[in-house]
Amino acid sequence: MGKMVSEDEEAAVRARMPHYDSADPYKLPALMPSSADRSIRSFDPDDFPAPGHRSDEWRYAPIDRLDDFFHPFTPSGLTEVSAAFEDGTPVAGPVRFGRADAGSCPAGSVGKPVDKASAVQWQASAGAGRIWWLDVTGSCDQPVIVRLAGHGDGLDAVHLVVTVADDARADIVIDHTGQASLAEGIEIRTGARSHVNLSSIQEWQKGSRHLGSQRIEVGRGAELQHNVISLSGSVVRLRMDPDFAGPDGFLNMLGIYFADPGSYMEHRTMVVHNHPSCRSRVIYKGALDGTGARSAWVGNALILPTAPKTDSYELNRNLVLSPGAVANSEPQLEIENGAIVGAGHASSVGRFDDEQLFYLESRGIGVDQARKLVVRGFFADLIGQIGVPGVEKQLMDTIDRRLARGESSDMARILEED
Amino acid sequence: MAEMSEKTAIAQNVQETHVLEIRGLRAGVETKQGRKEILKGVDLTVRTGEIHAIMGPNGSGKSTLAYTLTGHPKYEVESGTVLLDGTDILALKPYERARLGLFLSMQAPVEVPGVSMTNFLRTAVTEVQGSAPSLREWVGELDEAMRRLRMDPRFANRSVNEGFSGGEKKRSEILQLELLKPKFALFDEIDSGLDIDALRIVAEGINRAEKADHFGAMLITHYTRILRYVKPDFVHVFADGRFVRTGGPELADELEQTGYDRYLPQGKSESALA
Ligand SMILES: Nc1ncnc2c1ncn2[C@@H]1O[C@H](COP(=O)(O)OP(=O)(O)OP(=O)(O)O)[C@@H](O)[C@H]1O
Ligand SMILES: [Mg+2]
Repeated sequence: MGKMVSEDEEAAVRARMPHYDSADPYKLPALMPSSADRSIRSFDPDDFPAPGHRSDEWRYAPIDRLDDFFHPFTPSGLTEVSAAFEDGTPVAGPVRFGRADAGSCPAGSVGKPVDKASAVQWQASAGAGRIWWLDVTGSCDQPVIVRLAGHGDGLDAVHLVVTVADDARADIVIDHTGQASLAEGIEIRTGARSHVNLSSIQEWQKGSRHLGSQRIEVGRGAELQHNVISLSGSVVRLRMDPDFAGPDGFLNMLGIYFADPGSYMEHRTMVVHNHPSCRSRVIYKGALDGTGARSAWVGNALILPTAPKTDSYELNRNLVLSPGAVANSEPQLEIENGAIVGAGHASSVGRFDDEQLFYLESRGIGVDQARKLVVRGFFADLIGQIGVPGVEKQLMDTIDRRLARGESSDMARILEED
Repeated sequence: MAEMSEKTAIAQNVQETHVLEIRGLRAGVETKQGRKEILKGVDLTVRTGEIHAIMGPNGSGKSTLAYTLTGHPKYEVESGTVLLDGTDILALKPYERARLGLFLSMQAPVEVPGVSMTNFLRTAVTEVQGSAPSLREWVGELDEAMRRLRMDPRFANRSVNEGFSGGEKKRSEILQLELLKPKFALFDEIDSGLDIDALRIVAEGINRAEKADHFGAMLITHYTRILRYVKPDFVHVFADGRFVRTGGPELADELEQTGYDRYLPQGKSESALA
């Protein structure tokens, strides 16, 4: 039996202890509950609770349409994976690409799976040998395009590892097209002082489902521009978990999405600042058009006690083009270090800007045309920030095609309503 | 070649006279505290070729008048008519009014990210003219118009008004005026925030467009300086939602001396009105 402590004494001891105060969470940052302590990282799907609408992780997603992603499966192999330089020539020189097995490439070393779906994906990919490795050992003067082309609805799993050497410069594009149900894991590790521009483009056919987890490590003193562009597909849910390998890294995340009726686009950016003097920028913007178009963005910036002089900012904007479209936006900040440069966030869900429309209309431009110009401008502004001309052109062509089609009938209906 | 067609255009325009008649116009906005009446019975007739300067205290409703005439959705018309050559334009959409020949140079031109000036201008000209100008003529005309306004050609590729300085925005408004060739132009404080050179360039632009297109102008301003370049035929005092006095150019100088106090309702100072 230990020494008996009276309730009074215990209360007195408790009162002397520093306490986390939810009303003033920054008073003692080190006491704040950290998502790092709560979150599970494991290769074993059984370590994760079953996804439910009440869990933070899955609360926005249409999990009833995703059930097969949560149970072990054998990949259908319907996704064709290939890589080439932008001009179509096979990768060569400093770029190596091919199938690998878990033992002979750094698969699983950047980060463990972060949720049930990504653990299931890991097991499915590893079990069927569906792991590919893109290894960039030096600078390349044209973009490397990794194509994932879907050829059917059967549930497939792909794991892709991207490594870039110290001091290298590379533009990498991961292009998703076709018809697919894809569980995807991507691990990205960039070398010290490297400059990498990596884009993940989702231009799936209707009915496609895509659940992805990207674990990312930015090298010491390195710069990674990470672009996610989700333009089509029935369910696209991508979760990014970046952190840093050392100080002075810069992570610049740009997200662009366009949800139309019946499509659901979710992006989670879970940035962890684990080293001093790193900078992160997260800018995610999307447009939603038509009844039933849904999107969610959850952005978390966790600044650990080991990361003084952190500078982080996250922003999400949604342009809701028609009633009946729903955009969820959830910025979170967890600051466990008092000595940071800055941490900020902003989020908004807005309709068409009346002033912009009036300005265009007052110049004789019809309502329909004015709206298209504003939507096109919304995307052009973002796409112009990607920094890879070939990608920018491809995406603007897609946007123009969709706007030329008049996009959804809902758009037409809205024009009549006003 | 270009000169020839310009001259024929002038000749045609001079012959045509258009008239804009504002009669008993009352309009306001819906606010959280209820309806706010801003225009309280506006009467004015403007003919092509005439320049009407409009001066009046802050908050008296000058911008509201400009917006109401061009159809801004925020402002609701309560009563009155606005006839352009006999057609009541109040029932028309903003773009229909623009296509009939109404142009508003805004006090604060709006930024439209991602829409390039060229794309915007070409779309607008196409809509107003009813057909797309041939690419070669268009490029020539745009280059020339920008050159005359001393605008860097690179502005053509920038987003509409985005990141433009105050003066650059006003030049961009004049550029649009010259390309769209309206019958009636409203300038809402085109002279505010311009340096001496920019003011001259903008005023020259208005005069050049006026000469070429023979439009009727309403020039809202707080200062007499621009009126030394753009000579008004009439000067009006606008106070508390209506025109309260009309005179010739000399009225502007008088106002400079006396201010607006005597035009305001008893006991209402400028700040109380706003
Ligand atoms: N959208 C609006 N909502 C509420 N009040 C408005 C709105 N627009 C104008 N007002 C009010 O109506 C009045 C007239 O405004 P307006 O902008 O037309 O004045 P103005 O004569 O152009 O002034 P200034 O010389 O300062 O430009 C002001 O009191 C203004 O606050
Ligand atoms: Mg005004």
